[in-house]
Order: sequence, then structure tokens, then C-alpha cells
Amino acid sequence: MIERWALVSGLKGDLDTYELIQKDLKKTPGNITLFVLGDMIGPEKNCNRLLHRLINPNSNDLQPWCIYGWWEEQILLESGYRGDQRAEALRINKGEEVVKSLTNAVDKSFLNWIAALQFGFVELDCGLIHGSSKDIGENLTLDTPPLTLLDRLARLQVNRLFTARSKEQFHLELTEGTVNSEVEDLNGNFKKEQKVPQKAVIGIGAGKNYTLYDVGTDNTQFVQAGYKSEKRIKGFGML
Amino acid sequence: MNQAVISCLHANLPAVEAVLKDIELQGITNITCLGDLVGYGPQPNEVIELIRDKKIPTCQGCWDEDVVDGLDACDCSYPSQLAEKRGHFAHQWTTDQLTKDNKDYLANLPYSIRKDKCLFVHGSPNSQHEYLLPDMDAFAALERVENARAEILFCGHTHQPYIRELADGSIAVKIKNAAPKDIQEKEIQLPMRRIVNAGSVGEPRHGGTKATYVVHNEVTNEVKIREVEYDLELTCKAIIDAGLPPIFAWRLKNGFEFAEQAEDASHVCER
Repeated sequence: MIERWALVSGLKGDLDTYELIQKDLKKTPGNITLFVLGDMIGPEKNCNRLLHRLINPNSNDLQPWCIYGWWEEQILLESGYRGDQRAEALRINKGEEVVKSLTNAVDKSFLNWIAALQFGFVELDCGLIHGSSKDIGENLTLDTPPLTLLDRLARLQVNRLFTARSKEQFHLELTEGTVNSEVEDLNGNFKKEQKVPQKAVIGIGAGKNYTLYDVGTDNTQFVQAGYKSEKRIKGFGML
Repeated sequence: MNQAVISCLHANLPAVEAVLKDIELQGITNITCLGDLVGYGPQPNEVIELIRDKKIPTCQGCWDEDVVDGLDACDCSYPSQLAEKRGHFAHQWTTDQLTKDNKDYLANLPYSIRKDKCLFVHGSPNSQHEYLLPDMDAFAALERVENARAEILFCGHTHQPYIRELADGSIAVKIKNAAPKDIQEKEIQLPMRRIVNAGSVGEPRHGGTKATYVVHNEVTNEVKIREVEYDLELTCKAIIDAGLPPIFAWRLKNGFEFAEQAEDASHVCER
């Protein structure tokens, strides 16, 4: 059986989109694992129904594996789960109203579940995170310097890094890399050429835009929930 | 013109005096200090006052930060619970000894100092607690220098002096799974950068007992590691007399390279 991952993020309380994705995935062949890479909550709409569904999936739902994202971090900060810190970055950038909207959008009974979520998953040689391995709020995009991407991969010691924070969908391969290192210390000189094997950073999108990853072939497919996917198939065969 | 870079003085006054004398004998007046003025050693106030008196630009080290803000590193910094206990004891002893004026001085030290193409930090541009070891992944090391917009990064923290040149680098990238017009392949050339670790004046861990620092010629870009002998017995006696753990004197006297080194020195504590 083909093993595929469905990588979703940025639902921000949108249960309708989540149901649409679940419906899509039921039609997708293969053994599917569903990962939700954060931002399940947001300030725009009440998030309680979605959170309840993620925690208590319907009997025919794919089990979601969730990590926390930037908005979850903000509510945890604001609710005192990070010591004395509060969501000051959010407050400064978006204003007090957005902070209030966020805390009103999530019932307090869900906070312990959110607080127990992990920063990311490492599956096979892949890192699944919301932002980057340096910062949950870091946007990795096609324009991020490759040296930075390599560093973020190295920090997790993975060859594939799936990221959601930028909301963009992309698949950037670092096909080859080399650098010469010469170290002089009290014991002498040491030269070494370091090469990197093929690595990749994949932006999974947000909301209705999600990504399917074929674990066996290393192919990605960028999908829009509810869109007739037959027209967009690339290398996966008929869905 | 030469500049001297010193780091990790660790309240070892005889070592600091000997190194400053060696710098003076070379006619160098431009000195930068990379922090950790205190910790482990028996003369924290004296060392701070000497650096202040000489008006040496200094950035804040991890010990300087911890003495002011309270310990913010977890037990990952130590190889054993016993070592952690000793570290905490030295932290408390140092905090008790320091005058308010000297604590204020440490509190107001900058995280980094920039002089043209040179950036001076204690650990790394990311954190005073991050170790840039000589065998660190070369791309990650290059990223630290490049993202800090420097050509030469001067650091300390490891107590092991080295000069690392990262050159002739390139990375090839390819955009996959995009519309044909957006599919691109390109090779990016990486700039040549250097990391210079000044070692430690007050607590060397390079396998010998001599204090180390570096001299950088700003015209030729040549960097030399200097080793300086100092009155080791004086410091060891002061450690014992101050009631600090005798192991601090023992490891100085023997120049043990790995004594009390963190098990995973590349780990960055997030606490």
C-alpha cells in the first residue's frame, strides 16, 4: 500500500474546510496519515468546534496528528503558559482587539490540550514543523537564502523539512552543496571538504491549500480542498 | 594595524594581567573582550575593574548574563549533577562577591560589538550559550557568520582557540513541482568567511595551562593564536582560599581539556 502524508495547516477554526479536507482524503488512495502543522486556531472565528473535532474525531475521520503553530503560541503566551511572558508581539503588531478576539475564540478548557502539543514531528528523515527549527514564527519561502535553509535542516538533523508558516506551497530541493573548511588550532592545520546530500524544504500551504506527500517516491502534490483533483494529478496516478 | 581579542577571563586576575602585559609588549592598544569576565575564578571584582579601568570594549558572556539575570541554562550545560552543583555554587559565590556597581556594568554590556567587517560575540550571534566548535557543520558555521552580516566572526565560549576559514562554497537549488515556467535550477556561490575563537584567558581548555588570546592584523587579515604563561599557583591558591570547589584549581593546574565539558557542547539551551 502506498504511504502518503496529508499536511495541513492554518485552519484557524474553520471546521468546514477541515471537513472538506477529510472528505478529499477519503477519496485519496493509499495509506494516509494526516498531520496538522499548527494554526488550528486564530482570532477570526470561534475555534471550539474545530478543536473539539480534532480532539474527538468522528468515527470515519482520519486521525489528525497535531503540533502547535504561531497562533497557538500566542494564546499560550497570553494565558500564562509561558511564565511571565505575554503575547506582546501580537499586541504590538495587531493591537489589543486581536489579542482579545483570539482569547475569546478559544474556550479555556482547550488550553491544556494545546499546551501539550509538540513543537514538531520527526518522521523518517523528515521534520514536520510550523515555522522553522529556529523559531515557530520564522517564514521559510523560496526566497530564503539556501544557507539558512540548510541550517534549519541541520538543526533538526533531517533531509526534508515541511513548513507551514509562510502559507506558501513550494518544493525547493537543495540538490548539491560543498564548502571547504580549514581549521588552524594549537595542534596544527586541518582541511576538510564538506558536501551535503540532496535535501528539500517544502511549504505545505494553509487553509484549503494543503499538500500530499508520497513517502515512497518523495513527490509532493499541492492540493486545494474540494477542487477536482483529477486535473492536477502529477505523478500520483488517478486519485 | 593589529587588534587583540580576549575572551573567557573567568575572574582569574593573574592570567588577565599576564595577557594584557603580553598585548602591551606587542604595542597593541586596540583590544576587544568577548565576555565571561566572571565565574569559576576567585577575583571577579578585580577583573571587572581592570577591564573597566582599561576601557576595553566588552560584550556580555553567558556567566555575565547569568550572574545578572539568574541562571537561565539548564543541566544540559554540565556533564554530571555534581558538576552542575559546583557550577551553581560558583554562580552564587560570584553573585555574593560582586559589588552593585560591577553587577550594573555586567548588566549593561552589549550582546555583540561590530567593527566594520568584524563581529564580536561571546558564543554565537544567536546566543551567548551556543558553542561554535571547530568541527561544527561547515554550512551551519557559515550561516552564523553570513546571517550576522560579518566577514570575520570573533567568538569565545568554547575555551579552545581556533581559526576556521570557510571557502569555495556553493549550493545548487531546484524548484520542483511547479508550473514549467517557474521551474528553476541555479547554483549559488557562497562567500569566504572566517570564524576566530579567542580561546580563554582565565580557564583554558585546550589541553595546556597557558592563557590564550588572538591577534588580528586588520590590513593583512592574518590571525595568530597567542599562548601566555601566568602565575598559575597564585590563582589556584586564591581559589582554595576563597572556598571555591578545589576541582576548579585542579583542572587549571593540569590543563585538562575535557574536565567538566558539557556532554553535548553543540546543544543550545532554550530555557
